[in-house]
Amino acid sequence: MAAEGNLRISQVGLRGIVGPGLTAAQVLDFAAAFGTFLDAPGKVVIGRDPRSSGVMIREGVVAGLLATGHDVIDLGVVSTPVIQHSIGRLDAAGGISIGASHNAAEWNALKFFGARGTYLSSGEAGELLDIYHLKKFDFTPHQSIGRLQRDSAAIDQYLDDLARVFQPGPLKKFRVLVDCCNGVSALLLRRMRERFELDLVLINERLEGKAFAHEPATNRKMVELQLAPLMQHVGADAGFLFDIDSDRVALATETGEAVSEEMVLVILADDFLERGPGKIVIANVSTTGLLEEVAAGHHGHVERVAVGRQATIDALQGFRPEQIAIAGEGTGAVMMPQFRFVYDGIAAMLAILERMERKNITLSQMLASYPRYSILKGQVPLETHRIPEMLFALERAHPEAQKNTIDGLRLDWPGRWAHVRVSQTEPIVRVICEQRGDPPRRLFEETMEIVRSYCA
Amino acid sequence: MSRIHQLKIGVSGIRGVVGEFLTPNLACAFAQAFGTYVGQGRVVLGRDTRSSGEMLEHAVTCGLLAAGCEVVKVGVAPTPTIQVYVAETRARGGIAITASHNPPEYNALKLFNREGLFFNQYERSELIDLYHQSDFRRATNAEIRHVVLDYDSAPERHLTRVLKHVDLERIRRRRFRVALDGVNGAGSRMSVYFLRDVLDCDLHAISVDPTQPFPREAEPKPEVLDDLRALVNQCHADIAFAQDPDGDRLAVGDERGFILDNDDVLALAVDCALHRHKGPVVVNLTTSAVIDDVARRYECPVYRSPVGEANVVQRMRATGAVIGGEGTNGGIIFPAVHYCRDSYMGMAFLLDRMAETGSTLSALAATLPAYYRRIDKFSYEHGRLGPIMQELETLFPGSQMDRSDGLKLITPDGWLHVRASNTEPVLRLAAEARSAHRLEEIYGQAARAVGRH
Repeated sequence: MAAEGNLRISQVGLRGIVGPGLTAAQVLDFAAAFGTFLDAPGKVVIGRDPRSSGVMIREGVVAGLLATGHDVIDLGVVSTPVIQHSIGRLDAAGGISIGASHNAAEWNALKFFGARGTYLSSGEAGELLDIYHLKKFDFTPHQSIGRLQRDSAAIDQYLDDLARVFQPGPLKKFRVLVDCCNGVSALLLRRMRERFELDLVLINERLEGKAFAHEPATNRKMVELQLAPLMQHVGADAGFLFDIDSDRVALATETGEAVSEEMVLVILADDFLERGPGKIVIANVSTTGLLEEVAAGHHGHVERVAVGRQATIDALQGFRPEQIAIAGEGTGAVMMPQFRFVYDGIAAMLAILERMERKNITLSQMLASYPRYSILKGQVPLETHRIPEMLFALERAHPEAQKNTIDGLRLDWPGRWAHVRVSQTEPIVRVICEQRGDPPRRLFEETMEIVRSYCA
Repeated sequence: MSRIHQLKIGVSGIRGVVGEFLTPNLACAFAQAFGTYVGQGRVVLGRDTRSSGEMLEHAVTCGLLAAGCEVVKVGVAPTPTIQVYVAETRARGGIAITASHNPPEYNALKLFNREGLFFNQYERSELIDLYHQSDFRRATNAEIRHVVLDYDSAPERHLTRVLKHVDLERIRRRRFRVALDGVNGAGSRMSVYFLRDVLDCDLHAISVDPTQPFPREAEPKPEVLDDLRALVNQCHADIAFAQDPDGDRLAVGDERGFILDNDDVLALAVDCALHRHKGPVVVNLTTSAVIDDVARRYECPVYRSPVGEANVVQRMRATGAVIGGEGTNGGIIFPAVHYCRDSYMGMAFLLDRMAETGSTLSALAATLPAYYRRIDKFSYEHGRLGPIMQELETLFPGSQMDRSDGLKLITPDGWLHVRASNTEPVLRLAAEARSAHRLEEIYGQAARAVGRH
């Protein structure tokens, strides 16, 4: 496979390692394509995470947008949810977020948003890509070139809105430890501490451009290494770990236990279904089966979609907002209808704290109320041309299972499932098996064996 | 018939009509080539006041950062000011985003080396090769450097250098009444500050708002300076100045509102410079013989170079010239400040000379020998220049000839010069003589020859 994932241009946008993968020329072309895609002269809101390459990319994005006749409002270093919020507030035509979220420091990416801060649908993203590839951009004559403005009120306006949905007052009683991973969550949380008098203890709160204190991954392993050991020492009631642009979050309990990243969506699905029984949870086929069990308890239903943000976004369009309880992934990225269907780790944090407060229980008590599910994950380097054969072999090996082919192959039995799919970001096949109770070791080994026999 | 090219990427950099032709993508790629060429270090970036300037500034910054350069932005600043800044701060190079005297729909990148000089022809061709190969340095996140803003120190650095060569107190004492047309260009604010606050002139200025479009044709030619002439008469100014959008060219008017010939302005500047310090003078081939007359008063030699600032500068450095310039376009180059066309040194020289002598500008100009000049342009067509040169040579037998830039023919009582423009698809025909009659004779003969091809 070419360049080992140094660069990826897809419907989700442009992502790569700056220098060898992602170049200034691509940034200019993408910004000009987006400026052509949007109707001029609509305003475009931009912001970035603290990576050093973000300044270079911002300059290119600004040039491409101004040249296509759009005024640009630069929010500076902010989180992606703040950018999405500001698009609506400023009545802009769209927005661009510069930042590589949970990727390492050498990466960067562009994410595109439409009016009101919505993610682009597959159709819209496809059109943007077509313009990018055609390289026929609508550059405007010199008189109608756009102007650059700044807006420093974005974070406060966002927090105002956040405080309207989640009452911060009752949350003051919790001591909360947060690992900001040198990302933008630090800016938001410091301001929240100041304005709402929350008892937030921040670590890794300095914004860094060149290197982060640790890999910005929101998973149990990272929480176990970085956050969990400090919980009892700080006397915190809950611990949260954010990725760089704070759209994802992971958890640690007051007893110092690292929580599976799958649980963020489970807890919040439970919470929102409890208050809106019978609604729908949108989740991908790789996310825990505990969701079905939780949903069944509230007469709800889980709508399974393909892995990746785009599939979730597209699925949302098929429902009225009031039909949805929540949508998200097992990666700690969730979107709530109460907060504009935006992946927002800060909003997820407040929602979890609010549930603790409302139920008057500790985080470990809350987690103990769920049955145990065990998940096993593996990956195998892929042999692209044999994938259909491999999936067919798996299907034949388990004729009794219920199958779902929306993304690779998912096989379901009562209380357990296996999912085999090709990664969108790396040249590998991912294998995930889950079972209520003990780990499904045999199912996992058998599945891995079949997958391996078709791979390099 | 050659077409009017709306984009030109060549040895003089990149220049074109913004929008369809000169795109931010091109500017970014060119800047990345430049950054790759000069190496990872500080690069100074400034611009004039065109509506496309801000957009291109972002594109160029993107390309420079992507090449691993630190970008020092001086904002809206005259080209000579940017050049002085590059030299003083020991940067790796500089870029001015300006199409100089071209119309507002144009923009361009002017490129400077570490000495703050225009790239010479060798540097230019190396850069162009690099651009075409697209093999740019691509800095990683760890290698990407900052953008530094310094909007204030550039004018100070430049003006401090200028003031070393005039008697500031004697200018201030006179409280000259000065009329200024800044064309809303990059020099607008700096010129107001210089003339009013530094030189203590009674300043009457028009078109000094850098946020507004150019109110007149960008090149300060006499025929577009009616507003300035009216201002002189209205406020009874002692002298009038007009700049181009990037503040390298200077037009000068006297107390009667008469706009002087650029050759005469240069001659007065040469007089000022040689009066202070004797040495060689370098001007381009199309510059008037009045320069020779002035230099002869001080027994200084005059050398000529092909047209173009870079060519004049190169020759000045080779000959150790104390002053130089291009009479045809109002550019005064005074190397003690910097090897660049500098409207500020021009203003300072003339005011200082007026203060020293107590003469009016028209009286100073009257000391110059009178010449009759004519310059015109003809459409350029591929292959047209050669036959014209051949015919002119036979028309003026016995003339002294110079073929270093087109053809210049010099007779004892006048000269004739035909060449192709570097920046526009035109041929330029210039002639000069001691009498109107002789001028018509030389020019008419040459123009008829041009018409035949």
